[in-house]
Amino acid sequence: MILADCGTSYTKILDLSDGKLSIVETRQVVKNENRTFDAATGHLGRLKSRLYKNELVCLAVGTLEITHDDNFCVVDIGGRDTKLVEFKNGKPLRLDWNMACGANTGFTLEIVGRYYDVDYSILKPVDEYIDVTCGVFGIERVFDAIISGVTEDIAIARFVHGVARNVHRVTDRKERFYLSGGLTENACFMNSILKYAEVVPLGRAVLLEGLKIAMQDQDVMKRFIMN
Amino acid sequence: MNSKKIIGFYGYPPRAFTETIRCKYPFHEWIDLDVDLGSPESEILPDNYCRILRNIMDNAVFLKDRIDLIVTSTGSEKCDGGRFLSHLLSQIGFNVVDTRNDSFENTEFPALIDVPISKSSLPLDKKIELIMDTVLDDSSCEYEETQPTCGFWGVPPHDFELLKLFPDTAHVYGWTRCVEAERPADINLECYVDPGVPTVFFVQSFCAKSQLARWLAAKYGGLFVDVDGTIGMGTRAKIDAFLELNKAK
Repeated sequence: MILADCGTSYTKILDLSDGKLSIVETRQVVKNENRTFDAATGHLGRLKSRLYKNELVCLAVGTLEITHDDNFCVVDIGGRDTKLVEFKNGKPLRLDWNMACGANTGFTLEIVGRYYDVDYSILKPVDEYIDVTCGVFGIERVFDAIISGVTEDIAIARFVHGVARNVHRVTDRKERFYLSGGLTENACFMNSILKYAEVVPLGRAVLLEGLKIAMQDQDVMKRFIMN
Repeated sequence: MNSKKIIGFYGYPPRAFTETIRCKYPFHEWIDLDVDLGSPESEILPDNYCRILRNIMDNAVFLKDRIDLIVTSTGSEKCDGGRFLSHLLSQIGFNVVDTRNDSFENTEFPALIDVPISKSSLPLDKKIELIMDTVLDDSSCEYEETQPTCGFWGVPPHDFELLKLFPDTAHVYGWTRCVEAERPADINLECYVDPGVPTVFFVQSFCAKSQLARWLAAKYGGLFVDVDGTIGMGTRAKIDAFLELNKAK
């Protein structure tokens, strides 16, 4: 069985026969009309599979499975969205899914990174931050900073710090939370957000882990079969 | 096109008053202006404003040639927006008559109030339609009661698609339950939910009831949902996940 988390920018694919995880650009998956999966979550999951599972459920179940912690807050930073699940004593306390704001999404960082050809793995974090009230306004502030003489690296690191600060605010300023998604591999972002809280990175396969668990539940499987 | 003359109304005017008007205008069609009737934007109210109040204005303006009278609801059973809207409608030239439906004591025992439709096993959208029909006419049916696996708290939404996410075992709480109980301004009943029942606390964006909804959601471990207009994918997913993770459906 092939499972997929079809995000806006990247599709994470898990082959259950050998446990192999592969990550491809979603635009490649979209281009290939014949490419489908046995079950999927994520924005394009409905289009690319017979079985679709809600992303928030996958995030919640995947986090429970990976952490065995039933009092947690997890944030998944996607390309175009931010998902948050908070559990208390094994029950959902808060569910949030922001799909309309680029002030704390991975794609905003990717645009800036690509434009300036930045390697986030070696970009040094800084204590100053740009107030990223909106993704586009934040990018304008990067331009302004560079025009005023700040180096590109510092201006972009300030922007990354601003996004990290927003993510912390999304959690209601938790002292400890889990982080899921591609940004867990962005060293500059991780070092920036660690200024605010103890952040435990769970990697990019949390939703796939949740999808796998959900697919093992036959009742859930029947319920989500799309006719 | 239907040319029948109309009495428009919004909120919950007192039944005794609407019956008097019905006697006076026996052949008029009654239309609840709160509801999304697909009327074009009148562009009189601000864009960023309660979708229900905008429905009232848009519907009234669109149906203006057929409306003989608008019966408003301007007491605490509705909201300040309803009161201001009444003023604007009369300024535009509508024949408006104001009512209030809040002249009773708040109940001390909200759990004991009889609300058979709210507790019935009907689909949630049907429950809410039937409850809102009781504003003008009593319900004459008997309903099978169901044990709640989840709850919907709030006013009838602009977008009824939201209600289709719930199982038939959802009980109705909040203002809509107050309407069924004929106590639309009873804040004790409005704030009542069955403890332990996972409940979605819904408000239209920009509604004053947001403060109640958020407070109650935190108090009872429910899900606070704020929707402007039609329901988006994010809200749909939040409600789906909340119901599934609470094993409510």
